Amino acid sequence: MALKPVPDHVPPEMVRDFSLFTSPGMQRMPNGDPHAAVARVHGGPPIFYSPDNTRDSRGTWVITRAKDQRRVLQDSESFSSHRSIFASALGENWPMIPLELDPPAHGVFRSLLNPLFSPKRVMALEPAIRQRAMALIDRICASRTSCDVMSDFAFPFAVNIFLRFLGLSDERLDTYVGWGKDLLHGDSVKRTAAALAIVAFIDELAAMRRKEPTDDVMTFVVETEVDGRRLTDEEVRGIGVLVFVAGLDTVATAIGFDLAHLARNPNDQALLRGEPDRIVPAVEELLRAYSTVQIIRVARKNIDFEGAPIRKGDYISCATMIANRDPAEFECPNTIDLAREDNRHTAFAYGPHRCLGSHLARREIVIGLEEWLSRIPDFRIKEGTAPITFGGHVFGIENLILDWS
Amino acid sequence: MRIIVHKDKCQGHARCWALAPDVFKLDDEGYILPGDVEVAERDELLASRGARSCPERALEIDCTADALLARLLFNQACGGFK
Repeated sequence: MALKPVPDHVPPEMVRDFSLFTSPGMQRMPNGDPHAAVARVHGGPPIFYSPDNTRDSRGTWVITRAKDQRRVLQDSESFSSHRSIFASALGENWPMIPLELDPPAHGVFRSLLNPLFSPKRVMALEPAIRQRAMALIDRICASRTSCDVMSDFAFPFAVNIFLRFLGLSDERLDTYVGWGKDLLHGDSVKRTAAALAIVAFIDELAAMRRKEPTDDVMTFVVETEVDGRRLTDEEVRGIGVLVFVAGLDTVATAIGFDLAHLARNPNDQALLRGEPDRIVPAVEELLRAYSTVQIIRVARKNIDFEGAPIRKGDYISCATMIANRDPAEFECPNTIDLAREDNRHTAFAYGPHRCLGSHLARREIVIGLEEWLSRIPDFRIKEGTAPITFGGHVFGIENLILDWS
Repeated sequence: MRIIVHKDKCQGHARCWALAPDVFKLDDEGYILPGDVEVAERDELLASRGARSCPERALEIDCTADALLARLLFNQACGGFK
């Protein structure tokens, strides 16, 4: 394959034919293992330039080592998080908040939202989360010995919890999930249509909550103050869109990859079924091994980084699925060891933009696996079916048909 | 044992708290409270595990104390600790 042109300041020897979108193993395929495929970059240099590594075919520097990703993600003076990833689908450039704000503005909004997503707040939601998991799984196993985990359990579980958390009914759950899929994985036409639908939905929701406040997250956002003033319409939209979009895909996907792993590894499945106390650390290992998000930063100035001449405006990719397979950080990184200790993975990123929903996500995944394992007997991938995986800037899995007949 | 808290590096992962909730205290936002942590002897193992779990490297086990812990664990392993 001919490489795309690279900027003049990038030394030719630092260019690699690698892309999260087009490299071998990244395509949509049955029984794929995109995480193992990206782990191969660790046979190469710690930093290189990929000419085609974003959805819109932009080049990025690729940081492979966890230590270097930490340095990039912790240094927001050199590396900005503002790139209007959502608004660009509409030809606009407003930031999702707090993700696409840099410190110090970031901290003001982050502090505002942190208490809503704190570990203690999430603990209070535990009974509702567990009840939802139990109800869904009971309904599945009442009549069947097989199901599509993604559509029958992972999405209706994770997205329902998330919508309730936001104070929204789940009547339109499938519509919302569809928007999320089009936005994260669709072509540019679908992406723009989804972005328009989400903005209209969030704007309408904000207007409703202004008129008739309730006790949900959106009411909090429209009524709260920063620096002694209410939030602007653009700020309300920036927060609303981020919080809404963030919960539509990632937790369900994590549950999918995790159950696929357990279906294919009966020893791991038996271990967790027999000793449920191991599920909490096991989920950390599964988050490490099957992390799904590529984080991108934009250089705010020229900087020589580990021998790479990064120039102002360059994109820098910190793919969580790459750092989490770094042999310098994790012993035998491609071995999935559910009892791994000192597991300081970056599934939820490093630095000030650490995933705001990480505590909720962790509890949902743990409870989802606990209830699945306690209710569904030995399960495997249904014969004659194959889960479909894909790479890209957010990895995914579909068609996960499990069988326990 | 003492754990040095680099508060400016804490990003609220709360892994320390998940492993040793009695040792590491969080504020209402879920970030660690400022100030180094003095750890009672009975909590040392959990506390060091909690410190080692920080993705940001915000928690540093006081090295002199760490040496003491290593000796304690060695003695335990040899059966010298009753």
